[in-house]
Amino acid sequence: MDLEVKNLRKTFNLSRKQRKIERTNEKRRVAVKGLSFEAKRGEIYGLLGPNGAGKTTTLRCISTLIKPDEGDVFVDGMSVLNNSMGVRKNIAFLTNELKLDDFFTPNYLYDYFSRLHGIDEATAEKRKKELFKRFGVDKFSEVKVSDLSSGMKQKTSIAISLVHDPDFIIFDEPTNGLDVLTAKTVVDYLRDLRNAGKAIIVSTHILSVVEKLCDRVGIIIDGELKASGTLAEVKARDKSQDLENLFFTLVEESGGAKRA
Amino acid sequence: MRNMWVIFKKELFRVLTDKRLVLTVFILPGLSIFLIYSIMGEVIGSQFEEDRVYDHAIYAENMPESLEASLEEVLTFHAIEGDYDRETLENMVREEELELALFFEEDFEDKIEAYQTGTDIPQLVVYYNQGHQHSSTAHNRFMQVMNVYHESIIRDRLEDPDDYHPYQLSSENFMDERTVAARGIAMLMPMLVIIFLFVGAMSIGPDAIAGEKERGTIATLLVTPTRRRDIALGKVSSIAVLSLMSALSSFAGILLSLPRLMQFGDEMPDIGIYRLVDFFAIFAVLLTTVVFIVSLIAIISTYAKTIKEANMLIMPFYFVAMIVGILNSFGAEPNHSLWVHFFPIYAPINALSGILMFEYSPVNLVITLLMNLVYSAIFVYILNKMFDNEKVMFTR
Repeated sequence: MDLEVKNLRKTFNLSRKQRKIERTNEKRRVAVKGLSFEAKRGEIYGLLGPNGAGKTTTLRCISTLIKPDEGDVFVDGMSVLNNSMGVRKNIAFLTNELKLDDFFTPNYLYDYFSRLHGIDEATAEKRKKELFKRFGVDKFSEVKVSDLSSGMKQKTSIAISLVHDPDFIIFDEPTNGLDVLTAKTVVDYLRDLRNAGKAIIVSTHILSVVEKLCDRVGIIIDGELKASGTLAEVKARDKSQDLENLFFTLVEESGGAKRA
Repeated sequence: MRNMWVIFKKELFRVLTDKRLVLTVFILPGLSIFLIYSIMGEVIGSQFEEDRVYDHAIYAENMPESLEASLEEVLTFHAIEGDYDRETLENMVREEELELALFFEEDFEDKIEAYQTGTDIPQLVVYYNQGHQHSSTAHNRFMQVMNVYHESIIRDRLEDPDDYHPYQLSSENFMDERTVAARGIAMLMPMLVIIFLFVGAMSIGPDAIAGEKERGTIATLLVTPTRRRDIALGKVSSIAVLSLMSALSSFAGILLSLPRLMQFGDEMPDIGIYRLVDFFAIFAVLLTTVVFIVSLIAIISTYAKTIKEANMLIMPFYFVAMIVGILNSFGAEPNHSLWVHFFPIYAPINALSGILMFEYSPVNLVITLLMNLVYSAIFVYILNKMFDNEKVMFTR
């Protein structure tokens, strides 16, 4: 079973402060308007869209952090509405929104999240060694998170988000703020995970990441999926077969990215 | 429930291995209370001692020898000799160069002895300065001497000295020393218990929940397969244990400073008057009350977006608890009505007063404990719902 997003719709109330900042009289905003797509095992699905398009909201619904107003998400056949605990057991969600407690060391945090996922100590220890080595966390595993650079923190977050070896991995802007070397490590690891049969969804507004990494792509603008398919299929929609051109055309057709 | 213990242990580890938190939450409260109360005790003690040894400067005109001798018994002083007019002496008292100026009429004692109904009475004028500590003390001691002198004169004027007493007073005090000691302990303790428990919970609770929201670490926890109930219980139980430890530090500070504060010498208040069952009852009240307070603070901290907002929202509840504590302290009798035991905060303070004064009924105590637990369970249920509410957890 794969990951299936069906008719997802999510609306937010805008606070007076938000209305003032965004200079709007709208009291509610529809962030995601009936979105549907599928991410299969053994592939990387790229969710591409400008800022404020609804990418993060979609990922938060998939990861059970928020509930959809309408529609549903099925992860390995389990509904995020009816079996959120089951979904959480088999999903990894990594975003800048999720932070690590500055006071602890990567080592402590890894053990802590392993225990929360109910992983036995021997398995956790073995996997910790692999992940820490892969991301170079073993070199600073006993240094408090507060003393780590942002790249080190990002590597630690990735390792910790994967403690339970989930089949479904959701990464929001996976290379955001990373130096070239760390970004390459992350991209390489995502490819390895794909090859290991995991289903991966990455959200980004960086077109080069999508072109390098994704097997299939969905372009989301203003809460709606404007194009979807393999990279070649999506590119074919533009005369010049250029993803960037297509992206700008779709944004313009939608009246410009409202909050870009 | 497994994850509840994982969270519980992590929260304890977080606080107990942070040197700054250990210092501010566990060491400083007790240490500062010990130092403040000890210094207060020392200051009060030294004030008494200074009054005792201070050589007061007194100008006395025509003071009878008998009165001078009586004053010497209660006050250390030296007489200022010299020929001063009253204006100069008044200025000296005002300028705090002189503690007391006494102007007895010439032949004061003879005139009192020679007094007949309708004749003039001798005059006594006293200059003192109440704004000056030593002058005030000298005046008080002098007035004590004059009151005794006054009484003896009236008695002498009566044909039969027994006429001075319009009735014969015979008082018998059946004081139970145990009860008196208990009242002394119960005077402040219930109020302090609530204040210390609140302060302990306030120093940890907002950071453990609102702080996690503010730092974005709570979302990391929420995407793990951990039931919201386990998060709520893990947080509440760990904060409760840490608050209790913080409150114990404050109590240790008080107990150690009591001998100096209350001028008991080196004697500690005798808590040996209580039985083992009383200590169990006190512990049960403390335990359920701290869970109640922590649950309340956890709800406020979960609702708040930042630690600062949480602290501001907690303050009114803290003030209410303080006022309830004050109203039930300083010798207030425990209320035995059944209905008062359903009120949070009031009921545990009342129960503690009752236990400490040996005036509590097991039924009322059980109601107090149960109500604390019922309110806490309701709060934990609300907390559980709040952790599952995206508006509460993610609205910024």
